[in-house]
Amino acid sequence: MTVAPARAAEPSAGRMPLARVTSRRPGIDRDRSRAGHILILPAICVVTVLLLIPIGQAIYYSMTNWNGISSQWVGPSTYLTEFKNPLFWRVLENNALLLVAVPVTMLCGVTLAALLHEHVWGWRVFRAAIIIPTAVSWVVLGLIGIQAFAQNGLINRLLGGIGLGLLERNWLGSPIDALAAVGITFVYSLVGVNTLIFVTGMATIDPAVYEAGKLDGASWLQSYLHVTLPMLRRYFVFTFVITTISAFSALFSLIYTMTGGGPNYGTTTIEFFIYQQAFGTGAFGVGALLGVVLFLILVSLSVVQVYLMRRSE
Amino acid sequence: MTVVMQETRFSKAVRARARRMRQSPGRVVIWLVLAVVSVALMYPFYFMAMTSFRSEQQYELGRGFSFASWSALFSSVPVGREIANSLGICAVSITFILVIATCAGFALAKTQFRGRRLSLLAIIGSMMIPVQSMIIAEYVNFSKIHLINSYAAAIAVYIALGTPFATFLMSTYFRGIPEELIDAGRCDGLTYTGCFWRVAVPLAKPAFATVVVLQFIPIWNDLLIGLLFLQEPNIRTFTVGLGVLASSRVVNVPSLMAGSLLSTVPAAVVYVVFQRYLVRGLTLGTAR
Repeated sequence: MTVAPARAAEPSAGRMPLARVTSRRPGIDRDRSRAGHILILPAICVVTVLLLIPIGQAIYYSMTNWNGISSQWVGPSTYLTEFKNPLFWRVLENNALLLVAVPVTMLCGVTLAALLHEHVWGWRVFRAAIIIPTAVSWVVLGLIGIQAFAQNGLINRLLGGIGLGLLERNWLGSPIDALAAVGITFVYSLVGVNTLIFVTGMATIDPAVYEAGKLDGASWLQSYLHVTLPMLRRYFVFTFVITTISAFSALFSLIYTMTGGGPNYGTTTIEFFIYQQAFGTGAFGVGALLGVVLFLILVSLSVVQVYLMRRSE
Repeated sequence: MTVVMQETRFSKAVRARARRMRQSPGRVVIWLVLAVVSVALMYPFYFMAMTSFRSEQQYELGRGFSFASWSALFSSVPVGREIANSLGICAVSITFILVIATCAGFALAKTQFRGRRLSLLAIIGSMMIPVQSMIIAEYVNFSKIHLINSYAAAIAVYIALGTPFATFLMSTYFRGIPEELIDAGRCDGLTYTGCFWRVAVPLAKPAFATVVVLQFIPIWNDLLIGLLFLQEPNIRTFTVGLGVLASSRVVNVPSLMAGSLLSTVPAAVVYVVFQRYLVRGLTLGTAR
C-alpha cells in the first residue's frame, strides 16, 4: 500500500524498492506469490499438455518412421532424406511463390487506409465493407473461389469485359494459375485486417505534422510518402508478420475446399502437405518432420519481428 | 486506449482540416474509389445470396427465383444440429479461454512469484506453434485415450490454441491498471486473490470483449481440427459439415451457397458489431 509513494520519495532506492519494502512484510510477499502460482497454474497446464508436449513429441517422432501406432528410431538422417525429396522443394517453392501476395496485400491495405483516413462522407460504411470479408471462413471462400475462377466464372467474364480476354483461362486447371487463384483469394481475405491496422496507425499521427508539411508546400501524395509512411514503420512490421504467418499456416481450409492441393501439387503448401502426408498416406513421421520445419520457419519470422520492432523504436 | 485518447485530442484539428477539404474534387475521387472497392469486396455476398435463391437449373440459366436450394440444404444436412454444435463448442471453448487467460494474465501482470519468467516464456513460446505442427501428435494422443469423435477433444484443442494469445492480451491489459488500485484493495483487507476478483476482473470487461471477438471467428470458421476430431455427422460443426458437403460426390452449387451464407452471417455480424474491440486486439500486437 505504501509501495508506490515510497518509490517516488526515495529515487535513490529505485533500483530494488520492491525487495526492500516487501522484505519488511513477508506476509504480503507470500500472499502475492501464492496468488500468482494459483492463477497461472491452469494456463501452464493447458499449454504444457496440449501444445508444448505435442511439439516435443513431433520433434522426437520426426526422427522416426512413425505410422501413428508404432515407431522405430531412425535419427536426424530423416531430415536429409526429406531434403532430397524433390516434392518437398516443390511444396516450399509454392509457399515462396505465395509470399508474393504478402506485399500486395500490404500495399492494398495501406492505400485503402490512406483513403479511409480522409474521412470522406460515409467512410464508416466503407470501413465495414472492407473489414467484413475477413470474417468469411476459408471454407466459404474456397467454395466461392471454385465458382469465380471457373472457365465461365466471374473472373474470366470480368477480364473479357475490360478487354483483357487474352488472360481468360481455366484458372484451376493448371498449377501456376491455380496458385495465382489461391493468392488472389488470400489477398481478398486479408486486405481488411491490413487496412484496419494501418487505419489505427494513421489515427495516432498528429495532424499538426501534415499542417507543417502543407506550409512547406507538400502535396497530398508527398506528405503521404514522406510523413505518413515513415511514421507507420512498426505497423508495417506488424502487418508483414501476421500476413506472412497467415500465408504459411492459415490456408489449409482454403486449399482443402478450393483445389485439394492440385492440380499436380501446384497448390500444395507445406501446411497442406503435412495433412496429406500424415492423414492421407499415413506417413506420420514425415508429417511430424514437416511440422517441425514449419515451426522453425515461423519461429525465425518471430525473431525477425522482434529485431525489426527493436530497430523501429 | 491511447488511440482513443489521441483521437479526441486531435479531433478538432482533424475536423478543421476536413472542413477545408470538403469541397475539393480530390475527395470525390477518393469517395468513388472507396465505393468501387467496397462493392467489389461485397460482391461475393451478393453472389452467395443470389445463387442460393435459385434452383440448380435456374443457376445454369442465370435467372429465376426459388427456395429449392434452401430446402435441399436443410434436407441433406442436419443444419440445426450442426449450428447448435458450433455455437455450443464456441461458447464452452471461449468461456474456458476467458477464465484461464484472465487468471494467467493477472498473475503475469500483477503478481510476483518464482517461475514467473519461465511461465511468460512458455506462454509467448507457445504462441508461435502453428496448429499443423502439433496436430499430428495431438491426434495420436487423443486417439490413445479414445477421445477422437468427442466434443471434449475438439474443445480442449481450441482452448489450447486460444489460451496463449488471450493470456498475452489480458496481461497487457492488466499491466495498464494502476498498481494503486490493487494496493487500495489490499488496504481494505483483501487478499491478492480477492483483489483479482473484486478489483481487476470488473475492470477488465472491455478486454473480455476483445478476447471473445478474436476467438469466436477462428473457432467458428475452423475446418482442420473439426475434420480430425469431429468425424461423426451428429457432432460436426457447421463449417465442417459444409467442407464435407463440398467434397461429396453430388455437388449442388446453390445449396452450397445457401450454406455458405448461413455460415458467414454470424461471423460477419460479430465483426461489425464488435469492430472497436477488434481494433484494440489488433493494435496490442504493435504496442509492445
